[in-house]
Amino acid sequence: MLTSLHVEGDSLFHRLTTRVKLAILLIASILAFLTQSPVLLGLGLLVAGAFYFTLGLTVREGLRRLRPVLVTIALLAAVNLIVQPPLDVLVAVLRILALVLLAATVTATTTISAFMEEITRLLLPVERLGLVRAADVALALGLVLRFVPDIFNRYSEIREAHLARGLKPKWKTLVGPLIILTLKDADAIATAIDARGLRRGKRG
Amino acid sequence: MEIRFDAAGVSFAGRVALSPLRLTLCERRIGVIGLNGSGKTTFAKLINGLVKPTSGHVTVDGLDTVSDADAVLGKVGFVFQNPQNQLIMPGVAEDLAFGLSGRGLSKAEIAARVEAMLASLGIADLAARRVHELSGGETQLVAMASVLVTGAEILILDEPTNQLDLKNRRQVVDAVAQLPQCVITVAHDLDLLADYDRVLVFDGGHLVQDGAPADSIARYREIAAC
Amino acid sequence: MTTRDIVLVALFTAIIIVLGLIPPITLGFIPVPITAQSMGVMLAGCIIGAKRGAASYALLVLMVAIGLPVLAGGKGGLAILAGPTAGYIFGWIVGAFVTGLIAERIVGPATGEAKQFAGFFIASVVGGIGVVYGFGIPWLSYVTGTPFGAALAGNLAFIPGDLVKAAIATLAARAVLAGYPLLPRSA
Repeated sequence: MLTSLHVEGDSLFHRLTTRVKLAILLIASILAFLTQSPVLLGLGLLVAGAFYFTLGLTVREGLRRLRPVLVTIALLAAVNLIVQPPLDVLVAVLRILALVLLAATVTATTTISAFMEEITRLLLPVERLGLVRAADVALALGLVLRFVPDIFNRYSEIREAHLARGLKPKWKTLVGPLIILTLKDADAIATAIDARGLRRGKRG
Repeated sequence: MEIRFDAAGVSFAGRVALSPLRLTLCERRIGVIGLNGSGKTTFAKLINGLVKPTSGHVTVDGLDTVSDADAVLGKVGFVFQNPQNQLIMPGVAEDLAFGLSGRGLSKAEIAARVEAMLASLGIADLAARRVHELSGGETQLVAMASVLVTGAEILILDEPTNQLDLKNRRQVVDAVAQLPQCVITVAHDLDLLADYDRVLVFDGGHLVQDGAPADSIARYREIAAC
Repeated sequence: MTTRDIVLVALFTAIIIVLGLIPPITLGFIPVPITAQSMGVMLAGCIIGAKRGAASYALLVLMVAIGLPVLAGGKGGLAILAGPTAGYIFGWIVGAFVTGLIAERIVGPATGEAKQFAGFFIASVVGGIGVVYGFGIPWLSYVTGTPFGAALAGNLAFIPGDLVKAAIATLAARAVLAGYPLLPRSA
């Protein structure tokens, strides 16, 4: 459950720093929206596709990961063909495909911890303003990963409890108890975090 | 190590949870027993400042649990009755390492300390495990490690063998016996305290017996019988 | 934020992820299967309030961005945030905030039961449907070139399911308010 989409490898994107990769993605997305040329966007798609399909994923796995996005894009393109000139539809599809493939490349070549390090650095200016503490973001993220399996087990238990009593499990009766039982742990968890001194100098 | 209760008591909204107490603790193994609601957990939480006294003072090696709260938390570790809520990172080694982050230690130093800590409790093999997959006894031991790795000198255990099967129980008992730190154990599991140095008995918010395990346990049985 | 706030935010994000793991259901009168996850926007706002609810979704989006498959159907990664439905995802953050803002204004501990139900339902519809579509549809229209009217019309198919979700979120929020109240009070 919740394994990262990172793929081991030694491609160009694997070797770039997280910051450079995110910058490339940002610049590419700005440039892609500045042009209307199908040739340029087509080239962009080829380059992004070349990166994505050479980073160590099989073509099949690479496509499987993107299936939901690709299906949405195809559906929308089909609708657009009815109401728009085909060239405009082509431009929009090339642009979004190129960006999706580039983004997927960044995701697949960056580990969670590399992302977290970069996020911690990006949050430093925000932290100086006193808005958010980078360490708190790391703590919150860890907590989520830690408790998803427990909450999923609890969901299964509540569901089984319904069945054991001859009730049909419905969202209506599942969601309320799931939330109450989960959030009731919040105090105990918060006390434990403070007791372990994990947020020194800032507790309440 | 010296824990001093200086007329320290706790009452909430007119109800006395623990009547004021004057006492000094310096033994290596201390047991705390009493019925549910007797004030034993309040007593234990006073020691590391999780509960603040509403009268008097509690000090640990001269540090006040109110005015030196951070220093006391660093010195006194607490393992809760439900230790699974205490482990807050997804992996075992990760959780221990998180407690050491932000202290200016290098990654290698942190990893070395985590490894040494797990080894000292005999659970080096759990390092790569996911926290939610641990058994009850393993969870208890990892929670102890998570508290001790940050350098706690006193360890408070709240019902450490609660809901453990015999095998898990023995694992926890053996690990606790090896610890060089001072241990204060709150327990219903009386056998656990048989070889402790000193056992306190609480009843109705009062300390009613303080002495050798055999005497205290006998007194507790009397209280429970009526 | 206090430690408790951070824990509540993180636990709620975890709940949203678990909602994404629940298989989608098909209701007889609605053409598209509905997933429980987007109901989280309404739940978060109504149960833990504007600030913490929005923080829960910001954390979720962060997890999407760093490549964790936390969205319904195991979706995740920057590709989603660059794709045609990204507007809905960013809209969730604002939607949870607006839902919370409205719920905090209308619902308090002394509020009558009927007004509590009404407050949660209105908050869920405005924040969880209105705001989310307000971000999602223009973005979709912009990046894919679909005319706004067509994109809007396409979304109408989801409205009945969304109203069902708002009703369920209302019931759940009211149950939590009665059992373990967490919604901050606001003037």
